[in-house]
Amino acid sequence: MSDDLKKRVKELIVRQLKLEMDPATIADDAPLFGDADGGLGLDSIDALELVLGVEKEFGIKVQDEEVGVKAFASVNALCEFVRQKAA
Amino acid sequence: MNSPNSSDSSPRTRVALVSGASRGIGRAIGERLAADGYHAVLTYRADASGAEAAVEAIRAAGGSGEAVKADVTSAADIAALADRLDKEREGVDVLVNNAAVLKNGLFALMPDANWNLVLDTALGGTYRMTKAVMRGMLRRRWGRIVNISSLAAFSGSVGQTNYSAAKGALVAFTKSLAAEVGAFGVTVNAVAPGFVETEMISFLTKEVREDFLKRVPVQRFGRPEDIAPFVSFLCTDGAGYLTGQTVRIDGGFVG
Repeated sequence: MSDDLKKRVKELIVRQLKLEMDPATIADDAPLFGDADGGLGLDSIDALELVLGVEKEFGIKVQDEEVGVKAFASVNALCEFVRQKAA
Repeated sequence: MNSPNSSDSSPRTRVALVSGASRGIGRAIGERLAADGYHAVLTYRADASGAEAAVEAIRAAGGSGEAVKADVTSAADIAALADRLDKEREGVDVLVNNAAVLKNGLFALMPDANWNLVLDTALGGTYRMTKAVMRGMLRRRWGRIVNISSLAAFSGSVGQTNYSAAKGALVAFTKSLAAEVGAFGVTVNAVAPGFVETEMISFLTKEVREDFLKRVPVQRFGRPEDIAPFVSFLCTDGAGYLTGQTVRIDGGFVG
């Protein structure tokens, strides 16, 4: 998976959600949502923000909740989702 | 005076979409929002002449408006309308979910079709229309959703289980949606009119009317002009801290 895309996604997350952290410290497979250890602990409002950010940054549409939950599980999942949609 | 134009240098005129706006309360709201400076998009299911007359009145008063044939029970109609408004005008800023139908009757004798149609129009229509415009509002970080509920949501009137269920559901929907989108500058409120003198109550008998008036301190039926100004206020920048509320405009109905 392209490192460029991962970097872009991490920077998007930090920027869109105004997180005070270095994008590079986000682990590729860390769970973005919920209370899991090592995760970012984002909530549903953050989810909405992230959907908007992803749609705008990559010009894709996130269609329904199921897709969103799977696609946004981690940076890896999000990169995979973006590649599929852009293909 | 409220100016709905965006505060930066772009000349974009905000768009207000009102469903069921060919007559009655919907029409009054559409005309008022146009007077407030919105480009008013009035939808109708079948009453083309009513909707066209409303748009003519809007234009005669110097405002901007259009009438669109769109059935709120049709996902296709709504998708087409939302897409067009996205392309032509960058989306919708104010949505008034007003379209509703009555199919009164005693519950024990109610045909399924009457239950389904009433729910699908007022509640289903609200769901479809709101979903279609919400992303745009979130993206622009500004939006106003006004759901037209009814006294029926609170008063337990005989013969209106379907209508009351739909209008009551809008009250709960309003609170929940408001909680989700408040962070994005979108407010969601409901207005619950009492008996307002429109075609929707034209079938009421003299007895029912008199009975009703006994319980109305303001001692008259409502008019569409009693409802539109408050909806207008809800859609202003100044109402940005007011959300999740249902306000009854019913002459103080005691019941």
